[in-house]
Amino acid sequence: MNNNENNSQVIVVTSGKGGVGKTTTVANVSCALARMGHKVAVMDLDIGLKKLDLILGLENRVIYDIVQVIEGECTLKQALVKDKRFGHLYMLPAAQTRNKDDITPEQVKKICDEMRKDFDYIFIDCPAGIEQGFRNAIAAADKAIVVTNPEVSAVRDADRIIGMLESAQFKDIKLIINRLRIDMVKTGNMLSIDDLLEHLCIDLLGVVPEDKNVVISTNKGEPIILNERSAAATAFNNIARRITGEKVDIQDFEENPSFWSKIKTLFAGK
Amino acid sequence: MIEFLKKIYSRENNSSRAQANERLRIVLAHDRAGTSNQLMETLKEEIIQVIAKHVEIAGTPEVTIIHEGRQSALDINIPLKGR
Repeated sequence: MNNNENNSQVIVVTSGKGGVGKTTTVANVSCALARMGHKVAVMDLDIGLKKLDLILGLENRVIYDIVQVIEGECTLKQALVKDKRFGHLYMLPAAQTRNKDDITPEQVKKICDEMRKDFDYIFIDCPAGIEQGFRNAIAAADKAIVVTNPEVSAVRDADRIIGMLESAQFKDIKLIINRLRIDMVKTGNMLSIDDLLEHLCIDLLGVVPEDKNVVISTNKGEPIILNERSAAATAFNNIARRITGEKVDIQDFEENPSFWSKIKTLFAGK
Repeated sequence: MIEFLKKIYSRENNSSRAQANERLRIVLAHDRAGTSNQLMETLKEEIIQVIAKHVEIAGTPEVTIIHEGRQSALDINIPLKGR
């Protein structure tokens, strides 16, 4: 399915609230898919506040940006930055000195249509918020991934975004829960996976546990998926496999339940 | 012993997780329906007034928002006086 030109998928990654891990998710899931042999492109639409180039460690290789492509200063091919670590991964950088109103949904659509010919998966890194940047980001997408954290404000914003995606006729909206701390869920101090699914009522695409390795990888500009020992890396790899249609169970984060948690389960009365 | 442990466990109903769930339930219901507590009060009063104009109400009328999945509905429960 993935080598068929007409079957390319444009997937927007969005959240409403900022700082939940959209860009980290886009970077790692796209790297994982590229490593699996798919042709992948990532498009940074956070114009004025770009991050994707930095997360991917490609900041020194950026020459042109998406606004220059739209304004005809360069071709799409010239602006695409190739990630040499992975087979077929390209990034279309955002412009840093412009703003979200400098491009329109139609222009994004046109670029995506041009890219569909060469890629299996095109990820759009959506800016936070529900304004012009959000409208630009969802215009060309076939599917949406909503990233949230197990935290009230992030869930509320995610719910708002899901409502807006539904109004925009999105049929395929999936949830990624990022930065889950199972130890805190167990002590009753964090919303659980089931809690979030009950509130948001959409299908789960993956759960990424809190992992300090993410900070370390980001410091170095290396995708976390290269770190085989990281729990977050496993989670991002699993998400990539699910995107290709493979059935992969959500990880059991409780491999070694503590004595105390065993006692608790015993008396949970369920 | 078992009772004691059950007691400890049941404390989790007052946990911050339980509070987060409760607060989210209310806030999401209002967000989705585009309503506020103030609007609900106004709605309730006016609906009851309209009904009371035509039929006699017995007991306590209730007007609440219920939600199933991502759909919300106005649940109006007004007991009427029998003949």
